[in-house]
Amino acid sequence: MRTAILPVLLSHRRVRNPLSAAQVVLFLCLCIGFVMIAYPMFWIIMSSLKTSREITTEIWSLPTTPLWRNYVIAWRSGISQYFLNSMIVTISTILGVIVVASLAGYGLSRYRMLWTNLVLIPIMGGMMLNPQVCLIPLYRILTNLGIRNTLLALIVPYIAFRLPMHTLIIRSFFLAIPREIEESALMDGCTGFQIYGHIFVPMSRPILVTSAILTSYYAWNEFMFALIFIDSNRYRTIPAGLMNFRDALQVDYGPLLAGMVISALPIMIFFISVQKYFVRGLLAGSVKG
Amino acid sequence: MAKRSATVLLLLVTALVSVTAGGLSEAKSNDVVTLQFFHRWPMEPRFSYFNEVVAEFERLNPDIRIEMDMVENESYKEKIRVLISSNDMPDVFTSWSDSFALNLARSGRVRSLNAILERNPEFAQSFIQSQLEPFTFDGITYGLPLTIDGKVLVYNLSMWQEAGIAQEPRTFDELITVLDRLKSAGHETPILEGLANPWAISHFLGTLFQRYIPADVLARDYNEATGEFTHPGYRTAIEYFMQLVGYMGPSATSLTHTEVRNLFIAGRLPMMYMQFAEFGFVHADPSSPAYGFFNFPGICGGHGDFSLLTGAPEGLMMSETSRYPEEAERFVKFLLSQENAAKFVEQVGAPVAVVGAVREENSYPTLMQATEMIKSSSGSVPWLDNAMNIRVADAFMRGVQSVASGDMTIDQVLNSVQAAARMVRAEASQK
Amino acid sequence: MKSSCRGSSLEPLLFTLPCIVMLGVFVYLPLIQNFYFSLYSFSAFSPNKLFIGLENYRLLVDDPVVRTALINNVRYAVISVLIQVCFGLVLAAILEDKSFKRVGPFFRTVFFMPVLMSISVVCLLFGFIYHPIDGLLNQFLEIVGLPFLQRPWLGSARTAIWATIAVSQWHSTGYIMMLFLVSIQKIPEELYEACELDGAHKITRFRVVTLPHVKEIFFVASVITVTGSFMVFSEPYILTRGGGPGTSSITMAVYLYQSGFFRDMMGYASTLAIVIFVISVVLAVFQAMVFRTGKE
Repeated sequence: MRTAILPVLLSHRRVRNPLSAAQVVLFLCLCIGFVMIAYPMFWIIMSSLKTSREITTEIWSLPTTPLWRNYVIAWRSGISQYFLNSMIVTISTILGVIVVASLAGYGLSRYRMLWTNLVLIPIMGGMMLNPQVCLIPLYRILTNLGIRNTLLALIVPYIAFRLPMHTLIIRSFFLAIPREIEESALMDGCTGFQIYGHIFVPMSRPILVTSAILTSYYAWNEFMFALIFIDSNRYRTIPAGLMNFRDALQVDYGPLLAGMVISALPIMIFFISVQKYFVRGLLAGSVKG
Repeated sequence: MAKRSATVLLLLVTALVSVTAGGLSEAKSNDVVTLQFFHRWPMEPRFSYFNEVVAEFERLNPDIRIEMDMVENESYKEKIRVLISSNDMPDVFTSWSDSFALNLARSGRVRSLNAILERNPEFAQSFIQSQLEPFTFDGITYGLPLTIDGKVLVYNLSMWQEAGIAQEPRTFDELITVLDRLKSAGHETPILEGLANPWAISHFLGTLFQRYIPADVLARDYNEATGEFTHPGYRTAIEYFMQLVGYMGPSATSLTHTEVRNLFIAGRLPMMYMQFAEFGFVHADPSSPAYGFFNFPGICGGHGDFSLLTGAPEGLMMSETSRYPEEAERFVKFLLSQENAAKFVEQVGAPVAVVGAVREENSYPTLMQATEMIKSSSGSVPWLDNAMNIRVADAFMRGVQSVASGDMTIDQVLNSVQAAARMVRAEASQK
Repeated sequence: MKSSCRGSSLEPLLFTLPCIVMLGVFVYLPLIQNFYFSLYSFSAFSPNKLFIGLENYRLLVDDPVVRTALINNVRYAVISVLIQVCFGLVLAAILEDKSFKRVGPFFRTVFFMPVLMSISVVCLLFGFIYHPIDGLLNQFLEIVGLPFLQRPWLGSARTAIWATIAVSQWHSTGYIMMLFLVSIQKIPEELYEACELDGAHKITRFRVVTLPHVKEIFFVASVITVTGSFMVFSEPYILTRGGGPGTSSITMAVYLYQSGFFRDMMGYASTLAIVIFVISVVLAVFQAMVFRTGKE
């Protein structure tokens, strides 16, 4: 892998101008970084096709014969359920965050009154708040509501803790929408809800997509709530489910590694393909928070 | 277009509701009863065994559907206690014995099984009778034993032979001689334990405490209301453990018990402390080495009964508040039937509490030996983390882990144990 | 204020109501309850609470594990700022440099990939890397002839915390790097060109042009990393099985979890949550102050 890419990259450079010593050193450093990052990821995929014995005794070598059965075992012994749960939780969280945050963003950007500023304070404060602080009381609230150990026990807190950031992101986008558009709609007799649904939501599709992608990143990977608020194996999402999976398999490293690939690869491909939105979202989210 | 956003909201709500309502399960017809069954064995081969037995039960009882759920060991301890106090308490669930069972029973939500046992004398007689005791408190039986267990030192037969060891050690000093022999025969780590798992440490401690410290002192200390842990024997017992740790090499604190067992199965380790319940894993690997086992030796100058075996049964309990007590009873009887117990032995390779279920044709010689050892032992020692308050046990486990990694002294451990015991005592007195 | 006079005054309220209710019930109510819970002793599985006043706080002050956890969180913060923020910035500057234009996007994508992996997958992976006997790291040291460097990385109190911190760096450096990359891309090309005409050295250019332009994002990134360092949970929970050996690699979040759900001291866990809350408030105030200076 490494040997295949290095000469190609170097040849690109040589065509243009001679390399300075510093550049060569830097480039070698980058390559070392590349190996440190890429090799472990490659190793997971490679080892997921080996037998347990090969994984522990011949850690560097390629599988003698690729053992696709590991993937079948992983999928059958739980990963499929975790995958489905993660999908349900992620999609519900996205819908919840987008709807509630865009409604609030609209309310807070179009109606400037004293109370809208008052409402902004807890929203901004919510962004600073570390979710762990709420762990114990939240656990009891979810228990009392009777939704602990259901998928709702994840969906609802996920939405609540994502709301501040996305409300602010969406609101700032709404603030930039020219007032004239809204006023001409008002002339036509549109209500606030109609303006929201007909004008603002379609116009802000890029920021909503960004929000959705960022939320999916969070919901797909969240670990602590998923570990604590869910007792049953059948409601586990992938991050917490993998822990159960590790303990359940005991000796079988192959299927565990296959499970890791199944839970990481599709979502990585998805994020890389929407990289543009994703990076924009990270930036928007971080500057605000 | 208010309608549109309203529709979106409505859709969302329906989606959420359907998720909670268990939208994944098929529609249930009215005359089918659903029982919740919660156990702690998500790992193979038990996972498959329970799947098969439950499917078989559903086939034979079309009026009952079993909703089975499971989490592994460490989380089970926490989850079952939470579930017991909640509204969705499972109808049938597994439990450890002794103080763990007592704690669950104290909630008042675990069903007394006396009536069932009286009504079905034959069923009551089907268990190894000594294994019912750890589930019985003040004359009320709360659980029925499924598995029985014991923890013993196992050794790789050929490695012992090569090192010229002919006799199983009967005292701790003899054990040390054996370890030295193995070491000089070229085994850098003659014995190993996965010290990354705190519970694995607690198993050693539980045995050593029992072997060394007078039983009445232990009884007083393990009781939440009176525990002080000031007896000098604790220090000595931990020192004995550290002597063993000295043979384990530097990796012990970063290995798990499972990894260590895999080393033993792969023939890379001469000795380890293993449960009978794990024999099945050794047996399942055709290339695993031949092995022997013996009870943890006694300690010279120790006050405990050396013939006791550390290990306790695990069993099934039923909910007092179950809506379908009769169906739950049927299910429990089915799981504990002679036939299914034998099937458990065959598939899992671990000993069970049902008399006559471990037979020559469904097991293997070491399992037969193990079952005999449990039956003939004069009594059992409960697992340490089940025997005492979890906070005190945690102080012991974490503390000794730190001693093993060179981060704490035994005195510091005992101080934190005593502090934890003080708190537990104070709370017990306020209750 | 023009728009405020139209429509019923109920309408704007309707828009924000779902958001306010969600935040109120699931964020602020628990936050307040924490203060109340911290005065009690209670367990997860019993409905009864015992009032013990400030006893939990007294316990907290004397608790050596809290000290260990806080020190570990600070270690996380310092290392993360050094590696993720400082090194991440250098990395971004190199990748955006003209002489690396060709290969930049390739490395950028690769370095960003760990960010996209779920932290539990990353931790399981490093379990294989740090394994004392068959682990990639120790085996690698064997191959390159440095067997004396071999260690039980996660099993020794001296190395466990650092090994855990290293995992976070592997996972998150790409994230901060990406933030810098985007903000470096926004710097007008002419500034660099003007600098080049002056014959300035690349390092001078970095100091004169790049640094001032990424100053704000530098502070933001630092605050993000420090805040994140005080939330670390998954790495010690998974890799060192709850902060072992002993409590050597424990963090506040792991201790909070263990106190509440393993040692069954929910009240004490709430008290620990208050400590985490105070820390996050301090960081937030600091961030707000930095932002004011950033905006000037």
